[in-house]
Amino acid sequence: MISQQLLLTIFLPLAGAILMWIIAPLGRHAARVVALAVTLLTLFCAGQLVMNFPPGGTVAADFAPTDAAWLANAGNLGLDIRFSVGLDGLGIWMFGLSALLFVTAVLISWESIDQREPLYYAMLLLLEFGCLGVFTARDIILFYVFFEFTLIPLFFLIGIWGSEDRRYAASKFFLFTLAGSMLTFLGLLAIVVWDRQTSGFDVFRFSIAALTESLQAHPLPREWQLLAFLALFAGFAIKVPLFPLHTWLPLAHVQAPAAGSVILAGVLLKIGVYGFLRFSVPMLPEATATLMPWMLWLAVAGIIYGALVALAQTDLKKLIAYSSVSHLGFCMLGLFALTAAGVHGSVLQMVNHGLSTGGLFAIVGMIYERYHTREISQLGGLARKTPWLAFFMVLFTFSSIGVPGLNGFAGEFLILLGMFQRAWAEAPPLLAGQLLAIAVLSVSGVVLGAWYMLWLVQRVFFGPLKEPEAASHHEIHDMSWREIAALVPLAVFVFWIGLRPGDFLSRMEPTLEAARGPAAAAVAAETRSTKSEIRNNTVISKAANALPDSVSDF
Amino acid sequence: MQDTISLCLMLIPALPLAAAVLIGALGPRLLKNYSHLPLILALAGSCVCALALYREVGLEQAKSGAQSIAGFEKVITLWTWADIPDAYDLRGTGATAADSGPRAFRLDIALRADALTAMMLAMVTFISTLVAVFAAGYMEGDRGYWRFFAYMGLFVFSMTMLVSVSNFALLFVFWEAVGVCSYLLIGFWYTKPEAAAAGVKAFLVNRVGDFGFALALFLIWCTYGTLNYHDSLPDGSVDAAALEAASSNATAGSPSDAAPAGPALIRGVLGQRRIAAGDYVTGGIATAICLLLLIGACGKSAQFPLHVWLPDAMEGPTPVSALIHAATMVTAGVYMVTRCTPLFAVSPTAQLVVACIGAFTALLAGLIALTQFDLKRVLAYSTISQLGYMFLALGVGTFAGVTSGMYHLFTHAFFKALLFLGAGSVMHAMGGVIDMRQFGGLRRLMPHTHWTFLFGCLALAGIFPFAGFWSKDAIFASLHDKIHELDHEIEHRDEHSHAPAVGQHEGAATHGTSADLHPSPLPKGDGTSPPGPLAKWSDSQLATSRAVYQWLYYSALLTAFLTAFYTFRAFSLTFYGDEVIPHEAGHHAHESPPLMVMPLGVLAVCALLVGILAISNPTNWGTNRLVDFLAGTPSLAAGEIALTKVPEQFHLPIAGISTVVAVAGMGLALYMYLGDRSEARFLQRVFDLQGLNRLTDPQWVLGLERVWWIGATTRFLRRNHLGWLVTLVGYVLAILSLILAAPLLVGNFVTPYKLSLRKFYFDELYAALFVWPLQLAAQIAFWIDRWLVDGLVNLVGRVPPAVGSLMRSLQMGLVQFYALAMVLGSLILIAARLYYAAG
Repeated sequence: MISQQLLLTIFLPLAGAILMWIIAPLGRHAARVVALAVTLLTLFCAGQLVMNFPPGGTVAADFAPTDAAWLANAGNLGLDIRFSVGLDGLGIWMFGLSALLFVTAVLISWESIDQREPLYYAMLLLLEFGCLGVFTARDIILFYVFFEFTLIPLFFLIGIWGSEDRRYAASKFFLFTLAGSMLTFLGLLAIVVWDRQTSGFDVFRFSIAALTESLQAHPLPREWQLLAFLALFAGFAIKVPLFPLHTWLPLAHVQAPAAGSVILAGVLLKIGVYGFLRFSVPMLPEATATLMPWMLWLAVAGIIYGALVALAQTDLKKLIAYSSVSHLGFCMLGLFALTAAGVHGSVLQMVNHGLSTGGLFAIVGMIYERYHTREISQLGGLARKTPWLAFFMVLFTFSSIGVPGLNGFAGEFLILLGMFQRAWAEAPPLLAGQLLAIAVLSVSGVVLGAWYMLWLVQRVFFGPLKEPEAASHHEIHDMSWREIAALVPLAVFVFWIGLRPGDFLSRMEPTLEAARGPAAAAVAAETRSTKSEIRNNTVISKAANALPDSVSDF
Repeated sequence: MQDTISLCLMLIPALPLAAAVLIGALGPRLLKNYSHLPLILALAGSCVCALALYREVGLEQAKSGAQSIAGFEKVITLWTWADIPDAYDLRGTGATAADSGPRAFRLDIALRADALTAMMLAMVTFISTLVAVFAAGYMEGDRGYWRFFAYMGLFVFSMTMLVSVSNFALLFVFWEAVGVCSYLLIGFWYTKPEAAAAGVKAFLVNRVGDFGFALALFLIWCTYGTLNYHDSLPDGSVDAAALEAASSNATAGSPSDAAPAGPALIRGVLGQRRIAAGDYVTGGIATAICLLLLIGACGKSAQFPLHVWLPDAMEGPTPVSALIHAATMVTAGVYMVTRCTPLFAVSPTAQLVVACIGAFTALLAGLIALTQFDLKRVLAYSTISQLGYMFLALGVGTFAGVTSGMYHLFTHAFFKALLFLGAGSVMHAMGGVIDMRQFGGLRRLMPHTHWTFLFGCLALAGIFPFAGFWSKDAIFASLHDKIHELDHEIEHRDEHSHAPAVGQHEGAATHGTSADLHPSPLPKGDGTSPPGPLAKWSDSQLATSRAVYQWLYYSALLTAFLTAFYTFRAFSLTFYGDEVIPHEAGHHAHESPPLMVMPLGVLAVCALLVGILAISNPTNWGTNRLVDFLAGTPSLAAGEIALTKVPEQFHLPIAGISTVVAVAGMGLALYMYLGDRSEARFLQRVFDLQGLNRLTDPQWVLGLERVWWIGATTRFLRRNHLGWLVTLVGYVLAILSLILAAPLLVGNFVTPYKLSLRKFYFDELYAALFVWPLQLAAQIAFWIDRWLVDGLVNLVGRVPPAVGSLMRSLQMGLVQFYALAMVLGSLILIAARLYYAAG
């Protein structure tokens, strides 16, 4: 029953998209009402699933699994490709968040989309189908199909309903991500082939659970692990986007319609982090351990660099887009710290970023709807004219800069704590110095983050009222009920995660521990071996013992 | 909850929060101009609860008395914030044996009641009630009336939580939460650009402090494997009986057996059992933890070098300045350092740094306050200065020092809130003008404000018998005792040379528990020389700290003089001299309404009495009841700090000196500013080095001859054919002025007067050192992003079309070419095959 409900949830948006094609002649209003109804229904189903999810997380089997032969033995090629979906601790919150954000997306598109609405909502629903699928797929091919499928509707969303430069943005976004994911596919295939060679089965297996288990029992040779890791990295890192592969993101964000930005930032970027945690880390633990410092350096570079570039922006949307680069850097940092706190924080931060940045992009969309500008310098003092908009802006800003009591803090605190623990107490001795540098630098990213966001709020919402010339012709209203309804659900979760992150963490705990376990063990083994090497060398051993205490009294 | 303590502990933060939510929900539509009522009622309720809590804690302390291991504490847990099992394994790290084993990352929302918390809660709720009453009058007619009281409720909630949580992570949470409230309230009048900018500045400077604080938390977690203050069981339970059973189990079984099973008892960082055992990591890690905590404290308590936000924060409404930026929030740093006394006690370096920062800030802020014309800014700098005193006291590191810091915090809250509310009353009457040059002689117009303000000034200056006198004297006395103690140790060290010479070598040894390190080598005959920590110090350490503390004492005395001076300067400028009223005040400049005067009166009485009440212990005069109460706090009740506890006594000479200094400062200010103020203007010119400047002015130098005695001399010289001497002097002066021109030009900006007036150019310095370089870096990063990173990507993007166009040129449609290519290709293949076969 539960399994059917999961299938229903995933396919509802697809059905909605087809329905949209049928009711297209009925016009704008019908299209958006139906779209809202479909997303709400999906949210209802998804919400029920999430509520029924075991509070202690799933240990061995997925929650609400469906497993059916799909392309199995097609043409007797020995390909065991299955239609296999389910929910576990890693996917559950992104699944729920996707369902939630699409309601917001429909609500904020209500007035702002005024051409080809049925097609627009059909694309949005297709995108939702892809997003829900990608977080539930339990088969590599199925995952990859959904992974690539998300590109297509978003390509059209940006390319048709975007701003001036939309064609360029859409094709750049599409080609960039596609190029990376080709390599990812190669990496995944390498894993499948290796499994066939070692597992003793006579078929190519594509089930993620089976592959993870098999690769942990018979790990790839070290060099192959590194190659496979890099191949997977290509697709996932572009998706995240990890510095320096991020340049498609600001462009896509600026050109996309508001709803597209919300979904892009809130859901699609997380597929990258999700991919790392679903494939790279558990399947290639040794490569993960070896490349850990590199990944951490890239993450912290993204944090600082993204924040600095955000500080230089004059465009509302671009600023928030670059802030995403910075925030996703935190996600990657926690993930590759490979400590319990770090990985938990990372997955929580994926959700947090979706809520806060999704909310911020929605608000920017509302500002654009009113003033038709995104230039920070043309706006000022909006708090007096639109107090509710200012309230939500401040709320999501606080959430984004990690003010305690709101969700951003819970994620960031766990990530930074986890990173510091890795650097200070659990680092391989030779890496301790640079890991500590990474930890300290990443904490300073929090200061920069507060700087650009508060600066933005100060410029746009505080100070004397300043509006663009064109806006004086028509009256500017504060938020309508529809707009408030779009943001309130996000705000509820902003508070909920901030006050009781335990409710969310406990549900993902077993899955994350299983995912990070082998990689963390590999790092620990490396630590032990280098430590014993050092111990054999007495001269160095003295230096190493003195290291943490170098700050002596007086 | 069953007992009074738990009930009070929950009600105290809950009431303001409920009021804030209520006002936020109903304020704009329903409550409107009655928005203050829910808040005042809630705060009064909180205050009653806090007083009840204070009493209960006192009773419990008396009851538990001697048999408790380390003071009295009671912890209640509300819910679990997060729980990640097996997050950390302390084995193989620097932790002591009793802590080792796997640890869950577990955070419970836990509140605690102990003496320190009770005192802070009583102070915070009492002052905030009065400020809320004042604000009801002050904010009348403001369009954000409800918003103000909602924010304020939120602030009091955060502040009361800050002092009552029992966990470092939660401390950090509310540490930032009060910062957010402060941000919102500073920027309350958000349409004023200065207010909005000041809010952001406060938040960012505090974030820099929080950066250090966060690192300190992470280091504590890595070192002790928990962030709780209190001891708990692994499931978060704090039931006293269960804890006792667990701890006796742990001591019964040998640690090596217990380790694999995990600790049955998780000893909190500031838990009673750890404090009693003195089981703290020492050496570099301890110093690092303390200094990082200090960075956080410096941010929140506006200490050098992070003091720059507090004066700007005066853009907020004045009741906010009184409550948040004088009495409560800014003292959070002092509270935190006091709470962490056991951590600081094992690091003399950190204590010395705390003392130096405190004394330096006190002096710096005192110097700046001398010349400010904005009444609220004078008070802001005096707040920074007084907070500096508190840090100085904490840095003394003895029991007397730490408690005198808290005592000063307590008294300061009353008289500084009084002064700020008085300034608010003046501002209210003057139509929002706060520049002391634009008003004056208000004593007849505002008699109540005048008298209450005078009480505040006397207390701030430290005049007998006002509150500030007692607490400031306690700080001086503790400093004096510390110097005395160091002297004693230096003098008598040789006599105890048989005592193990744990000098530089073992003293610096790390990870030792300090409990086994003080076998009390000193004889206890001399009452003033406590055994313990000092014995481990090397001779040079002793000599250095003796010298440093001596200088700090002098600096503190100088600051006391400055304090008295600027306080009465501001007082005289505001209330004496000719009656001047700015036109903003209109024709109805008047004394404030009773609603605002009432809190002033109450606080004035407090400013007079809180010091005496604490001191006047009927049974044992001279001891301080507040200090005795605080001694029951676990952090202060056991461990090294308790060893430095000596019988309290009142130092008459010390009090005499500080009184003389304060009276001198007060007298000088009154002399200079009560009359026609010509002396003040003269002093200003002197400190502005205006005479020196003229040297570079040729007209002035030439004009010297018109001065009669110079003219007579030159005429006399010229008559006697010694005119060349005059020319020579002229040349020398010209050269001198040329040489001096550049420095004097710079000197125009750095005269003592201008340095003080322009706040030692800290804002400009920070802008040049941090803000502009970062903005430049931002622009550079943006440029790199557009042209290098994206350029590279676009370059890669050009490759497929380029390859494609190359290929296109091959497909020219010439059949002969295709045939040739085919033949060539076949040949190459055949050649390769042959080569392979041959090889």
